[in-house]
Amino acid sequence: MVSSSCVLWAQEPAESRSVWDGVYTEEQAKRGEAVYKKECGACHGEMLTGGESAPPLTGGGFQANWNGLTLGDLFDRIRKTMPQSKPGSLTRQQDSDVLAFMLNMNKFPAGKTELYRQSEMLKEIRFETKKPTAKD
Amino acid sequence: MLPRKAKGGSLPFACLLMSSLIPATAFAQYHPKDTEWPSYAADLAGTRYRPLDQINASNFSNLEIAWRIKTDNFGDRPEYKLEGTPLMVNGVLYATAGSRRAVIALDAESGELLWIHGEHEGKRGGAAPRQLSGRGLAYWSDGVDERIFYVTPGFRLICLDAKTGARVPSFGENGVVDLKLDDDQTISDWNSNHEWVPNLETGEIGIQSAPVVAKDTVMVGAAFREGMTPRSMRNNKGYVRGFDVRTGKRLWIFHTIPKKGEFGYDTWDKGSAEYTGNTGVWSQITVDEQLGLVYLPVESPTSDFYGGHRPGNNLFGESLVCVDLKTGERKWYFQLVHHPLWDMDISSAPILADITVDGKPVKAVAQPTKQGFLYVFDRVTGKPIWPMPEKPVEAGNVPGEWYSPTQPIPSKPAAYSRNGVSTDDLIDFTPALREQAKQIVSKYKLGPVFAPPTVSKLEGPLGTLTMGTASGGTNWPGGSYDPETHTVYVYACNSCIEPIGLVESPKEVSDLRYIAGVAGREVQILRGPGENAGADSPKPPKRRAGSQYQRLDIDGLPLVKPPYGTISAISLDKGQITWQIAHGETPDVVRNSEHLKGMNIPRTGQETYNIGTLVTKTLVIAGEGQVTTTSEHPRGAMLRAYDKVTGKEVGAVYMPAPQSGSPMTYMVHGKQYIVVAVSGGPYSGEYLAYALPSAGE
Repeated sequence: MVSSSCVLWAQEPAESRSVWDGVYTEEQAKRGEAVYKKECGACHGEMLTGGESAPPLTGGGFQANWNGLTLGDLFDRIRKTMPQSKPGSLTRQQDSDVLAFMLNMNKFPAGKTELYRQSEMLKEIRFETKKPTAKD
Repeated sequence: MLPRKAKGGSLPFACLLMSSLIPATAFAQYHPKDTEWPSYAADLAGTRYRPLDQINASNFSNLEIAWRIKTDNFGDRPEYKLEGTPLMVNGVLYATAGSRRAVIALDAESGELLWIHGEHEGKRGGAAPRQLSGRGLAYWSDGVDERIFYVTPGFRLICLDAKTGARVPSFGENGVVDLKLDDDQTISDWNSNHEWVPNLETGEIGIQSAPVVAKDTVMVGAAFREGMTPRSMRNNKGYVRGFDVRTGKRLWIFHTIPKKGEFGYDTWDKGSAEYTGNTGVWSQITVDEQLGLVYLPVESPTSDFYGGHRPGNNLFGESLVCVDLKTGERKWYFQLVHHPLWDMDISSAPILADITVDGKPVKAVAQPTKQGFLYVFDRVTGKPIWPMPEKPVEAGNVPGEWYSPTQPIPSKPAAYSRNGVSTDDLIDFTPALREQAKQIVSKYKLGPVFAPPTVSKLEGPLGTLTMGTASGGTNWPGGSYDPETHTVYVYACNSCIEPIGLVESPKEVSDLRYIAGVAGREVQILRGPGENAGADSPKPPKRRAGSQYQRLDIDGLPLVKPPYGTISAISLDKGQITWQIAHGETPDVVRNSEHLKGMNIPRTGQETYNIGTLVTKTLVIAGEGQVTTTSEHPRGAMLRAYDKVTGKEVGAVYMPAPQSGSPMTYMVHGKQYIVVAVSGGPYSGEYLAYALPSAGE
């Protein structure tokens, strides 16, 4: 997964996007925050720092888990397994909004367009921990 | 999903295996072998030790995955928190697995699935406080029958025929003992009228650890929801029970909260023993079969951080209790923390060790803890091996709280991980980072171990900044013990900061006066996995002005100095730390930090609380709890081996995901295996079996 996406990036830098490219909007993150607080915060913590039994959704450990994968992978993980008591009970829009809130809390920049709701399209957005320096 | 055969490995042994399961000597008592792993922690002493040496310093890095098994299909959804440690007896590996907490039996050489058992518990399972696959199971044999015991999420003790996976009809009711019954209390829950009424379906009690079998008694403790924000000062109690392995008949019960008239009842002022609950034994029980003694690590009473509704020392909360294997009668106890206020559950298996102190042999028990003290006692008498004087500790000023004026502090060994926060602990890679860290912590109260929680205030303090509390030090995986060198090996999180602030609880949220929270932010009930925030649950008050997110890191860098996680070797003969190393690759967020560009940072270890160790003839083995992406390996984690004498790393092998369950080892037909559970983030649960390449490969 890592090597193939790196190859893709190397070949098509202009079309390939990452979480550093403003892939959600502030407004979407705000909607996501409301959903998060209702559906996710009790286990993962209001500040996404995790609980005794649920992992953090922010910070170095969380980001390292997803480094090199795509937002599609992260979206599918949420969609298929969360909330744990009722997996799949949120709409795609709600899941997408929660993902936008998570990106915001992880200090990835907001942009002008909202996140997709389709896994296949989200798979085109790479989750990268390191901020690219050569793309300015 | 099908188990893969070892590359060039041997033929399936299913037929041979089935015949080998019939014992040659009928009715002979089962005697575990050094090459097997018959208990959750290798043996009843909690050592996680096997004297195997085929895998050693010279070849550890050559290990290959011999077989692997994904656990996705052992439940109606995949699990990302696989915490089990399998057993291995007679060439068969037994494990709990998947979101169903299924029990699986595998051929220990090939990984072939021999049988599977699962209980469909419906709402009772769905309402359970501790769900998912759990940590393991127990094995028993009298030389003829072989039985496997485990506890379902819905709190049923199940007895299976180890050969077939079928329930044993003669045990309990058709192989089941309902643990919510015959518990010297009526398991209850709140109804919609806020009345505390009997309810076997949703009444809160369960367990995720493995039952323990010693001689002919199977023992089970109890666990509850997370206790930082309980809905009530009242809850079910976590008693410990022993059952007959053949019939399931209850043999004894130990009241972890004494009943009226029993010893310790008077440590609960104002009748608080009547309604206070929790105080279970959710971690592993250990047993000295020869002495006929059982060691119970007891957790906190109801409400982790506010004890105003349970004035007094609260026996046997956060105590190590020794009871008789046959009767459950208390032999001795030692309360590690009086009037618990820090979530210092005794969270792992007590370790039994026959040591030599000042030239005299001592039968000892050593207890790793969240607070980084290794408490060591004579396990016959309960007397500390080295003095543990009661030392004055700071009293707080939370309204209505009751404070113990002293706490016992071990004089030896020294604390093996941080258990308080001071300015000296703060990050010091650069002066600027130190200043930023000082700025962040200035909003909190700092202090040493047992610094009291505070009421959270907008103007400060937001809370007490603690380490060695809820998630610090050593948690459920516990430590290992080498009986050859009388050394305990134990992982500790050395950077798990826990802010403990209290806020007044709105009546519609909890009947406690205070629960955990942060000034200016919504009061929220904190839950564990699978707990449902139901549609009818009370709505919290709206956010008040002035609240802000306060992150306890600097652009991902931990607030405190490395090492972030350690493995310590502690000589029990001397009461001294003989070596201590940073365990785990430097996290990506540290290695790639803009703040540290151009700096050479030695390996920092990792901030995680769930690392178990394994000790063999020559090695200490433990995986990493965090994923990293480095120039040496793609995104993944390493299973590392250290020379057990020096702590020097002697090998490492790649895992696709972090270690989430403690490793174990065994040998079958001349080949040593190491099995470890991995999961987390994008990676669903999987057991990996490593072995050396076969000759000629």
